[in-house]
Amino acid sequence: MTRSSTPRPRTGTRATTRRTAVCTAAALAVALTACSAPGESDDDTKASSGPIKVAVVNAQSGQLSSLGDWEYKGAKLAVDEWNEKGGVDGRKIQLKLFDDQGDPTTGTNIARRLVSDKYVAMIGTAESAVTIAMGPVLQQAKIPNITSGQSDGLVALKSPYLFLNGPTSTTYDSTLAQHLVKDKGYKKIAMITNNGSFGKGEHDAFLKAVKDLGVTPSTDQVVTTDQKEFSAALTKIRSTKPEVIFIGSEEVEAGLIVKQARDLGITAPFAGAAPQGTPVFIDTAGKAAVEGTIVSSPYLSNDVSAASKKFAAAYQDAYGKEAELHGAKAYDGANILLTALKTSNGASGQELADAIRDTRYKGLLGDFQYDESGVGITKTTIGVIRDGELVPQQ
Amino acid sequence: MQETLQTLVGGLSLGAVYALVAMGFSLVYRTMGLVNFAHADIAMIGAYAASTFYLTYKLPFAVAMVVAIAVTAAIGLVIERVLRPLENKDFDLMLIGTIGFGIVLQAVAILIWGTTGRAVRSPVPAAPLDVFGVRVRTYDLLVMAVAALAVLGLAWFLARTKRGAAMQAVAMDHEAATAVGIDVGRSNALAFSIGAGLAALAGGLVGPMLYVDASLGGALGIKGFAAAMLGGFGSIPGAVVGGLAIGVLDSYAAGHFQGYSVLVTFLVFTAAIMIRPMGVFGERTVSRA
Repeated sequence: MTRSSTPRPRTGTRATTRRTAVCTAAALAVALTACSAPGESDDDTKASSGPIKVAVVNAQSGQLSSLGDWEYKGAKLAVDEWNEKGGVDGRKIQLKLFDDQGDPTTGTNIARRLVSDKYVAMIGTAESAVTIAMGPVLQQAKIPNITSGQSDGLVALKSPYLFLNGPTSTTYDSTLAQHLVKDKGYKKIAMITNNGSFGKGEHDAFLKAVKDLGVTPSTDQVVTTDQKEFSAALTKIRSTKPEVIFIGSEEVEAGLIVKQARDLGITAPFAGAAPQGTPVFIDTAGKAAVEGTIVSSPYLSNDVSAASKKFAAAYQDAYGKEAELHGAKAYDGANILLTALKTSNGASGQELADAIRDTRYKGLLGDFQYDESGVGITKTTIGVIRDGELVPQQ
Repeated sequence: MQETLQTLVGGLSLGAVYALVAMGFSLVYRTMGLVNFAHADIAMIGAYAASTFYLTYKLPFAVAMVVAIAVTAAIGLVIERVLRPLENKDFDLMLIGTIGFGIVLQAVAILIWGTTGRAVRSPVPAAPLDVFGVRVRTYDLLVMAVAALAVLGLAWFLARTKRGAAMQAVAMDHEAATAVGIDVGRSNALAFSIGAGLAALAGGLVGPMLYVDASLGGALGIKGFAAAMLGGFGSIPGAVVGGLAIGVLDSYAAGHFQGYSVLVTFLVFTAAIMIRPMGVFGERTVSRA
């Protein structure tokens, strides 16, 4: 368009045309809305045409950004596959990414934005604390949320609009405790966990699980989430000569703990949940240091089934990177949401939440079937790290 | 006893890194009266640069470090050049400018290196030494030695060279320094680039100890800043003492107060600052800022 384009010719004088102009504008607006292209109507959530607006909220900056990145990639892969097949009911899925920086305050601001921008559903976040903070706003606005968090605090929220795309800490840790105490016969178990929402959840769940089996940890060390130096805690652990050390911390910190433990001459294996199966953990600690680490996870490797092999290949094609648990979880979660959208013919609010609860889905993590608490899967398997790879326990 | 000593060793090795960060803060502050809030993020860029040249381009670790220091020193020059028009005009804007640069550097790091960070393997493969039951990592010894050399080098530069003396003069009175023919702008630029180089040294050295990602600056910055304050902002020996003190204090607090260690570390820090606001080696008067 050029600046010299002629202005639209006006008819009549300014004074007399004001009313006409308003009327014309109103009529025009109605006409435009009626024949606008799909996607341009931002009328309300009940719109039965145009794309379905789904938000992904995950940390893209800050310390948890790698987690957020995996989650986003998994969710996007699922949505792209659905869009390629024509979307839901002939409507495309419009996925928009929001960066919560792993921060609950930022998260609640985003939650309000999702409400005002009329998003139908939300995928994420990967950090339980952020999801818990966002929960009440989303519940009030009746926006279903499929989270990647695993803290038992999510269940305690009792929101009918909150669903987990994986097992809770209790599931992870009771399976792990069973294995360590029953199968391995370990009696001297040391614990090191951080005081963040994930670490605290792991601490409580594992402690309860081993105590139920009649074992009291030899020592229970708590570190902070941004600690870098663990000599004090690890020296104490070393002095109790444990047979295995439970670790409840995110990828990077757990990796540093294991690395420093080996430097201090601790040879006992470590045991933990989802973060201990990730490449970031293995790289941070070093391949030799993590050898023999026992991991409780719903998704041990990309080779466990035909579906996971297919997912891993598609992930590799799309991003040129190897898939792992968090991408798989988000992929499952997004697929459940899209299946529910399909069965409910693109509903929103309460109807969509009910559709998610009714969805039976055979996913990469297992068979999903949601109960009242919003948990859809309650099973993990035990794996071991051998030569830098997580493999199923023989 | 063994635990106490082991905790001390652990604290000292990270303390040496905090000392390097604090030295960079102090050098810029004493010369310009400015706290460079982008300092910690420059350290993060330095860590990324060093790890890239070391891991991707397979340069020897020492060479990779030198290249990283050169890269960040150049970034320091750019920041100083951009902020120079504000010098002596609007100090607050200059301060905010450094914060802005910090945010930009984080965003740039994510653009270049992505959100997933990287683990850097230790350039010293030797097993930890066992000294009467206390394990000392060989790499930590290297870090402490390099940090000590950097301190001595900087002290020598400031006391014995003409450029260094000129920087001291600017630090004392920039108007008088201008009057005797010292180029204040050049002196500031030098301070900024040496500060950035020190940040890269700290970042590069800490890479194999920790994990390099865009948030590394936050981890080093707050402790380094606290170290500079504790030792006396602007004082080079103060930065060293402050860095080691914060490292060791943090390490012991972690051992005794577990989850509350950060709280205890900074409560002790606050108490120390209240008793001696100018820091251990600080000058009695609070300067220009």
